[in-house]
Amino acid sequence: MKELDLLKKDWKKNANSFEQISETEIYKMIHKKSSSIVKWILIISILEILFWTVSNFFFSTDEMLIKIKHPEMIFYLEVMTSFNYVIVLIFVYFFYKNYKTISTTESTKLLMSSILKTRKTVQYYVWYNLAMAVISSIISFFIAFIYNPDMEFFRDKLAANGQAMFMTIGIFMLVTLVFLGLFWCFYRLLYGTLLRRLFANYKELKKIDF
Amino acid sequence: MSENLEQSFVAQLKANQNIIHKICRLYTAGEDAHKDLFQEITIQLWKAYPKFRGDSKFSTWTYRVALNTAITLYRKTKRTISTVEYESHQHFVKDVDYNYEEEEQIKLMYKAVYQLNDIEKALVFMYLEDKDYQEIAETLGISEVNARVKMNRIKGKLKKILNP
Repeated sequence: MKELDLLKKDWKKNANSFEQISETEIYKMIHKKSSSIVKWILIISILEILFWTVSNFFFSTDEMLIKIKHPEMIFYLEVMTSFNYVIVLIFVYFFYKNYKTISTTESTKLLMSSILKTRKTVQYYVWYNLAMAVISSIISFFIAFIYNPDMEFFRDKLAANGQAMFMTIGIFMLVTLVFLGLFWCFYRLLYGTLLRRLFANYKELKKIDF
Repeated sequence: MSENLEQSFVAQLKANQNIIHKICRLYTAGEDAHKDLFQEITIQLWKAYPKFRGDSKFSTWTYRVALNTAITLYRKTKRTISTVEYESHQHFVKDVDYNYEEEEQIKLMYKAVYQLNDIEKALVFMYLEDKDYQEIAETLGISEVNARVKMNRIKGKLKKILNP
């Protein structure tokens, strides 16, 4: 291609035409903070992990359990809590491991895939927590409904009226769906802006090798 | 020890800075963005420097880290390049044997290259830098054959942009 050769000639001619950066400026630069997407992903990921881990402390069902007075229930929930801690540790370990593999000295494709993999680990953690939130709210809804003495009045009312029962379940499901939808939108927005370009470039690279 | 490391890094970077400038020229529009990307590349090079063993040339290593930063890590604020910015961004050296037609063609060619996507730009960049296909393929993480195929496609695409 003739034009490309022309461009190359000009490119080489202008290779030394840039305003040179002094050593002092370079010193200053290397002490500045990076604003790369990897750094943003790291910050957001740590916040996500913290948010979900801390929120597990807040959604405590202790008070309800004391009222129920069923020791076997308390035992099951304690097992669940410990299981949750193990899961958190496993996720943090994998997150750290994947994060460490992100290296600018690898090929572009490998760098991109390790960033996406790190991101995925956190995403799985979030999905895990969302699933757990849904499951445990369903379970606690039933526990409360069946065992909690405060619910007796409600229970009798629902037993007498089938329509109210459906309404309750319907509202419950609707709230869950809205909750999940909000999360989904939030993530689309957050990672959409951050990773759109990376996804596009990764796709392009994979297309070349197809 | 770390001061020695800093010193040798700064000296080597200063000597090889044109590689980074050239990448900034291709991936950014305007002086501010150029400086911004230059700084991010410098930070990334410095962060990776302890792992630089010297079994490859500093320049070869710089190409890889700098391109990776431009394509993958850098958060661009502006994606498109306007003609005004483009004109002011060029540093044409006027020769004695100034050929108007040729100069026009080069200008159009730069404009066409700016319209390529990030990956295509990387291939064109390495082509302009006389890198062989093996190095292009290794840098991007694709096969050598496919790097050649892609380069030919890019040439076709550039032709199309020039003669729509």
